[in-house]
Amino acid sequence: MNKNKIQNYKKGKEGEEIAREFLIDNGFRLIESNYSNNLGEIDLVMSDKDWLVFVEVKLKIGDKYGTPEEMISKNKLSQIKRVSESFLILEFPISKNFLKYRIDAVCIVLNENKTIRSIKHYENLY
Amino acid sequence: MLTKVLSIANEGLKGIEIEVEVNVADKGFPGFGIVGLASKAVEEAKERVKTAIINSEIEFPNAKVTINLAPADLPKDGSCYDLPISVGILASIGELILPKDKAYFYGELSLDGSLRHTRGVFLLALLAKEKGIKKIFVPRMSANEASVVSNVEVYPISNLKELIRHLSGEKIIKPLRKIETEEVLGDIAAEFDFAEVLGQEQAKRALEIAAAGGHNVFMMGPPGSGKTMLSRAMSGILPNLTEKESLEVTKIYSITGNIPPGGSLIRQRPFRSPHHTTSQVGLIGGGSNPRPGEVSLAHRGVLFLDEFPEFGRNSLEALRQPLEDGLVNISRAAGSVTFPAQFMLIAAANPCPCGYLNDPKKECKCSTLQILNYRKKLSGPIMDRIDLHLTVPAVDVNNLMVSSQDNHNEKSEIIKKRVVEARKIQTERFKNLDRIHSNSDMKNKHLKDLANLTSGANLLLKQAVNKFNLSARVYFRLIKVARTIADLDKSNEIKENHIAEALQYRVKNED
Repeated sequence: MNKNKIQNYKKGKEGEEIAREFLIDNGFRLIESNYSNNLGEIDLVMSDKDWLVFVEVKLKIGDKYGTPEEMISKNKLSQIKRVSESFLILEFPISKNFLKYRIDAVCIVLNENKTIRSIKHYENLY
Repeated sequence: MLTKVLSIANEGLKGIEIEVEVNVADKGFPGFGIVGLASKAVEEAKERVKTAIINSEIEFPNAKVTINLAPADLPKDGSCYDLPISVGILASIGELILPKDKAYFYGELSLDGSLRHTRGVFLLALLAKEKGIKKIFVPRMSANEASVVSNVEVYPISNLKELIRHLSGEKIIKPLRKIETEEVLGDIAAEFDFAEVLGQEQAKRALEIAAAGGHNVFMMGPPGSGKTMLSRAMSGILPNLTEKESLEVTKIYSITGNIPPGGSLIRQRPFRSPHHTTSQVGLIGGGSNPRPGEVSLAHRGVLFLDEFPEFGRNSLEALRQPLEDGLVNISRAAGSVTFPAQFMLIAAANPCPCGYLNDPKKECKCSTLQILNYRKKLSGPIMDRIDLHLTVPAVDVNNLMVSSQDNHNEKSEIIKKRVVEARKIQTERFKNLDRIHSNSDMKNKHLKDLANLTSGANLLLKQAVNKFNLSARVYFRLIKVARTIADLDKSNEIKENHIAEALQYRVKNED
């Protein structure tokens, strides 16, 4: 991995951590982080009351390169959908406990000095 | 918040009011969607609108933006919805105050927030007048098109910021002054003057008759004899467009985007010379979302088909309906539209594929079969509809280098004067008849009352019809041409010599 990729990976980890803490503060429980299979990866798998929630985390530093919301495209969304549905089958011991599932997104914007500028949680992306 | 902005869509030459509904939702994942049968050009408005708003130093809402173009079952095409969409978004986020009374917004945005020249503004103004809408906001580049329409205030907009300042009352844009149509109608010089065409007196005379009565012309001659030059000089002797005609032509030109930026009414009679590879759709009009073809672009003007037999057979035969009725009906899955197509056909052809058949100096190298195949394209029904058949012989080289002092040829403006006189007589004659402007537009039923043949002329005509075996259509067309020749002669009656001249252009010089 080159330097840039390592940096991006680190940033991703950082974002997931912030999102996890944020959601746990809001009453979510963590089931698994960075779940991946051959169809792709899901940043966080959590539960919210009787919902099974798949969370996509996006982090941006500054607004130079657009908003994190813009980075979740239709393609990305359909990929997340695919992985989550495969999760339901492959991880049946976990998913059998939930009757409902949904996909959420957490969009984080950091200032240049790594303090949080904004953190937004979108429930149930279509 | 939900905002509604009015704009228009075009169906053929008709404008249809469109309501652009913009909803900027507080909840939901941010995104930007357009519904309402939007075409690719409308879909792409998303990127233009978003970037234009950001570049106008306004923050684009990080929210779910939904656009609906109602009525939702009518297909919408074109870039003209950029302005209404962005006005809707800006009004929804409170950056802009919509005018109190109904207004139309129309125009394509550039990425920097300025407005570009957009086609169809003239039709927008006409629809606004019809619907009683007082204000229209259009790109500055296209605003002149709309300014000839009365009772509508036309606001020329340069960019989004200017519009916002105007609507908030901070800096008012003055509506354009209404331009009187007489101001823009006037003379425009043609590419060639008739005086520049050397020799070819017979052809010049025939084109004068054609211009005076709106008759169709067919010219046959070897390469380089001046067929093309003669036809191009034609626009210099055609009478100016009348106001009514100009409005008809401008409508077609506006919808096809043929009016240049800053342009207003079309003042010159159209002169269209499509290449002979033009497809049938290109010539007649069509497409899944029907658009006017060359015959409609030549409305009230000249359609010049050079190398006539080289055109596709389908294209040529499709000319029959417009030649006879002066309009084209196009029916497609998307709907059926009618475009006007009252044009003067000028067709030019070589006598054979090599071009030198019957030439006194050069030998023709074509076989009989080749010549037959070539002539087959000139089918009876099409040739029947052409009144003036001309032979344009090659010019003698010795006559070519004439200095301008020795050139005693008539100037186009002198010929034009005679043409205009003849048209005046016709206007007077047809003043009570709808849709008939020139002798060639006359229907057979009018001929009895309006032709005014002397008994001698009538006799001559009958004899000629029997002798040359002419069809009924040709009989009537001969009278129309003779009527025009009589008009040029300022004669109330059609005399024998008028009929004789008309006959001379009709009886083909078959080999």
